[in-house]
Amino acid sequence: MRRIYSVLSVLMVAVFVLSACGTPTAAPVEQPANPAPAATEAPAANAPAPAAAEQVLRIIHPAFDQNWSPMLGGGHVSRLYSLWWAAPMYFDAKGDIHPMVFTEWTPDENFTKWTFKIDPKAVFSDGSPITAEDVKGTWDLSAHPATGHARVDLFLSGVKGFAAVSKGEAKEMTGLVAKDAQTVEVTLGAPDPIFYQKIATNLIAPVKISQAKGEDGEQKLEWWRPENGVVVSGPFMPQSMDLDKGVITFVRNPKWFGPTPKLDKIIVTSVEDSQTAITMLENGEADIHTYIETPTLVKDLGLEFVAGPDMPKAQHFWLNVNAEPTNDINVRKALIMAINGADLIKASHPDGPDKLATMIPNAVPGADDPLYLPYPYDPEGAKAALAASKYGGPDKLPKLMMVGISYPAAEAAAQYIAEQWRQVLGIQTIDMKPQFDDYSGPDKANLQIYRDDVGTRVPDIVSYLQGSIYSTCGNAVNKMGGYKNSEVDSLLDQASVKGVDDPDRIKLAQQADRLFRDDFAFIPWDITPTSAFAMPWVKNAGRNIDWQIVEPWNVSIEK
Amino acid sequence: MFRHILYKLLRWIPSVLVVILVVYALLFFGAGDPIRLMFLRMPGDVAWNPERIAAMRHELGLDRTFLAQFTEYIWNLLHGNLGNSLLYQRSVNDMVKVAAPVSIQLALAAMVIMAILGIPLGVVAAVYKNSWVDHLIEGTALAFWAIPTYVAGPLLVIFLVRGLKLMSVPYGWEGLFSPKAIIPLIVLSLRPIAIIIRQSRSAVLEVMGEDYIRTARAKGISNYLVMSRHILRPVLTPIVTSLGLVIANMIQGNILLEVVFGIPGLGRLVAVSTIDADYPVVLAVVLIGSFLVMGTNLAVDILYPILDPRVRQTQVGGES
Repeated sequence: MRRIYSVLSVLMVAVFVLSACGTPTAAPVEQPANPAPAATEAPAANAPAPAAAEQVLRIIHPAFDQNWSPMLGGGHVSRLYSLWWAAPMYFDAKGDIHPMVFTEWTPDENFTKWTFKIDPKAVFSDGSPITAEDVKGTWDLSAHPATGHARVDLFLSGVKGFAAVSKGEAKEMTGLVAKDAQTVEVTLGAPDPIFYQKIATNLIAPVKISQAKGEDGEQKLEWWRPENGVVVSGPFMPQSMDLDKGVITFVRNPKWFGPTPKLDKIIVTSVEDSQTAITMLENGEADIHTYIETPTLVKDLGLEFVAGPDMPKAQHFWLNVNAEPTNDINVRKALIMAINGADLIKASHPDGPDKLATMIPNAVPGADDPLYLPYPYDPEGAKAALAASKYGGPDKLPKLMMVGISYPAAEAAAQYIAEQWRQVLGIQTIDMKPQFDDYSGPDKANLQIYRDDVGTRVPDIVSYLQGSIYSTCGNAVNKMGGYKNSEVDSLLDQASVKGVDDPDRIKLAQQADRLFRDDFAFIPWDITPTSAFAMPWVKNAGRNIDWQIVEPWNVSIEK
Repeated sequence: MFRHILYKLLRWIPSVLVVILVVYALLFFGAGDPIRLMFLRMPGDVAWNPERIAAMRHELGLDRTFLAQFTEYIWNLLHGNLGNSLLYQRSVNDMVKVAAPVSIQLALAAMVIMAILGIPLGVVAAVYKNSWVDHLIEGTALAFWAIPTYVAGPLLVIFLVRGLKLMSVPYGWEGLFSPKAIIPLIVLSLRPIAIIIRQSRSAVLEVMGEDYIRTARAKGISNYLVMSRHILRPVLTPIVTSLGLVIANMIQGNILLEVVFGIPGLGRLVAVSTIDADYPVVLAVVLIGSFLVMGTNLAVDILYPILDPRVRQTQVGGES
């Protein structure tokens, strides 16, 4: 018996010892090599009055992200860039553009050469100015394949020399030139009247290139961590980053060149479980969520939490035009006309605030096209279309497979659609899975229906449609099985070179959209609001179409 | 004993190599390309540029053959380098260095709880066999076993935090002795404790029927001494085996527990890495799992002769 007790005692001691050794102790935050000098001058005219209590914003982050590089270009991390990186310019919630790092942008008469002027007051958190070399270096580095920027193509693919850099064949874009310390000149391969809108995003915010780039010309590992002395350009700067625990703390950037922030501190905590996150928000242990979607979100946290202005983005079900049986336009007509859109959105979002989409573009100039005919709900027409198809009816139809059914609202929508097809058309065999690779074997090559979103980061209908229905865009290639309508492509090509103020830009795009409509290649579904995902006591936390908090310096807590 | 341990270690090396080869092959051929998956899973506005994706794969060495990539991995492994995460570009050594002790602490603590509670409860159930005490203990153990972790965790949080308002949400990790570790420890030990209780009960019942126990009772030895000196020792051998198996599983990470409670352990790490096909991280966790299985088997082998002298005599007899 004594031996048993000895063994148990040894075990308990082992637990205690491991606990003492293994518990990560809070490492002292290393001061950066060149810490920002403390403000010693007289308080600026716009300095806030001392607050009675510290204003601390607690953000819940839905993913256990271990890479917070400003050059990721995607993922949930990118939704918080506006906290610590100043964009070249930025859009407000209404879609109006505002200067930030760049104060002037001027095209030549052909829209092929753009000149950008940097604000002389734009500095990093160590006081050093943001220079044209920083801008050029950041954009070049973002284009390197090793950097892994997920969206750089959307912003810089039109710049001369981008293709070579993107393929790893060159290190610098020939079309990017630092004319002087405060002037960046960009030469495009083709006219692009909205190029200035494309770069108005925190996703290609300039960084201090001497910190980010290593001797091998590639991005340095973890250069963006405060332990490595990172200097930032936004209203806040990271004070500590515990990637293993998933906790990041930001404090005010004393050298921020914009309006003084109202918040004193921001704490970002990774909480992957949505039920835990909701409980923390309900309990007042957190203030904002980076992004959350659950079937009971409105019931749990209120409509105000998820409401917001419409964003130029929507979720749809895309039909593969080259897979059996959706390669038959009559089958596609039947599938689409069997759906009652009003019931579809009610099934997936019974408590709101999402709205039904009836066409591709929304919340951009030109989206209200009076000539566009939304798809009708026509059960008899749907049956007739299916009968007119090469299958003649539901019995010979191959199994229908849906993918992207990966969250509760999508599940509800997919189930409603499947039930409509069963009731109206008699189609019984419908499969649905969350991810593409959940299918295997021959099924994987023959998926017919993809749920996915499309949108635009600029308030421009042409850009919206180029990213949705143009034959070489990811959506057309991957989700619609290689959809190509040469007339649609041609109209969008023509529209893309028209000036922003040229009415033909919108007219041509609307024409392309109507032609696409007649191809019956998608089931319109859901317009997503630009939710702030903020509790009622958080003020001014609205987001723009880039999912960035528009003006983080204006966010405040009022309890 | 030393030769026995050395022999076990030598036998373990080829087993681990086979495990690594199989897992690597499964990830390589079955899990998908992590870069392509990254673009496929991102929202629809992410630009799909096949040439760029190919260039990114080339930079990471993902366009090489299976043999080339696997050989490089083994070579780095032999030098103690677990590689870099494909998606996060962090050293896997650094990631695992923080995650492993957390999971080990939790598992060991849960094991102590299971041993302290489970064994005595099993003994009591056996002593009061077929009475209401026995039914209560067994029934409760089964009920705990029936509740999955992903239900028990959130339910406890809602009950204690939102219902009774006893505490704030126990999210994050501040060490084993912080209040935040209480609920995760309870959840972690709830299910396996049923195994220990039932194992203890059946082992005690089996031993209680032995002749030497009857002899001990006939000699007038008290029940307490019979239990502690004559019954518990042989009973502990199978229980230690069960504990060894349970703890190996626990350390490898109770994924759901760590995700729900934000515990930065191996489970949370492997959950994210498996979904994203981040091979080096998954392989590192598999390697640790193999070590653990070997380590717990060794520990059990070392404990057996301590607990049961008959095993020691058999070993000595075998060696001589």
